Amino acid sequence: MAANPCPCNSGKTFEDCCAPLLGGQARAQTAEALMRARFTAHVREDFDFVAATHAAAEKDSYNKSAAEAQAKTLTWTRLEILETEAGGPDDAAGTVTFAAHFTQNGQSMVHREKSEFVREDGEWVYVDGEINPRSAPVRVDKVGRNDPCPCGSGKKYKKCCGA
Amino acid sequence: MERRFRCTGCGKCCQGRLPLSVPDALAHADRFPLFVLWAPVRPGGRSYDLTRQLGVTLDLKKKKQAALRVAILSYVPSGMKCPALQDDGLCAVHDAKPLRCRAMPLSGARAEDDQDDLLLPRAGWECDVGEDAPVVYRDKTVVARGDYEAEREQLIKDAAILRPFATMMLQAAPQIRMDVEKMASRPMGGHVITDTAHLIQHLAGVDAFHFAAKQLPVMEAFAARTAGVAELAKEHKRYADSAAHWRRVLGG
Repeated sequence: MAANPCPCNSGKTFEDCCAPLLGGQARAQTAEALMRARFTAHVREDFDFVAATHAAAEKDSYNKSAAEAQAKTLTWTRLEILETEAGGPDDAAGTVTFAAHFTQNGQSMVHREKSEFVREDGEWVYVDGEINPRSAPVRVDKVGRNDPCPCGSGKKYKKCCGA
Repeated sequence: MERRFRCTGCGKCCQGRLPLSVPDALAHADRFPLFVLWAPVRPGGRSYDLTRQLGVTLDLKKKKQAALRVAILSYVPSGMKCPALQDDGLCAVHDAKPLRCRAMPLSGARAEDDQDDLLLPRAGWECDVGEDAPVVYRDKTVVARGDYEAEREQLIKDAAILRPFATMMLQAAPQIRMDVEKMASRPMGGHVITDTAHLIQHLAGVDAFHFAAKQLPVMEAFAARTAGVAELAKEHKRYADSAAHWRRVLGG
């Protein structure tokens, strides 16, 4: 375990992970890196960083004092990145789906969100997110009795697994 | 059909719950115990289309829908007088009183052709509805329009804040969604009440700590007034929980 583990649970130290982004010495290369830094900023109650990394259209609606007030009532414990789509060094947009764990009033809770990020003037910024996103529907392909068996045996389904 | 009305200042309607516009709630946050009201209206129910327009549309099971009214509420127990009602029966904040009070007995939250029942004084009210009182409503049209229209205009402005707030909460808090859907599917209806903790995030420019400092003493006072009263146990818990939340925000 690192001496000063980064709150975003990357396994790196804070200095090697989110600190340069929060301090302004480095820029996020990916949407996920910004997502991680914004979580770390919440943990460290650095809401100026959170405010500064909102998309221009969203900046006016961000209530920094409300975020500060909320921080007094809960403790962020852990970040899990569940899925990313695009958002790489060569992309202009991307999404990051995450679960941010916290405790509030002695209860363990989870905030799940699919966040949308875009680049503005080359820099990744947060647009908004869908909370408790629905996962893609599970598709079940029907196998007819006379179709080849999905187990790969080459037999008809009805002569194989479907028997 | 004509309805006449003149306020006699009897103060009898100044009790219990009072839905407030967003600016009124913020202006009187040091006076009223503020909560959020979630009140579903089923298709064919009162002012359904207007409620959809000002609130959100709920998708229910079996492709059914309901309109959901979302409003900030001064949550005073039924029968308990308004904190701004003085002993002489007059309003302590008359010149700054909420749009909801000014528009009484008409309601900007109800469609113009759906005001009739509001103009029948309820038991114990001393409204003047006699021959000398002015006509305020004729043939489903509001005659005395000023305060009614002012309230409606504000509700339309509030919708720009309350609709995204409600959409977010219904996504983020499955318990609220489940409770609201349950109420929407009950034949006798019903509503849900939540605290204002998450609403503040949607009020750009409102200082959450100032708001907390105003609400904490109000919640404490109402918790004290309802303590030990069996029939107000639910209300008491809401005040106490809300007070505890604002105390945490203020670091106490």
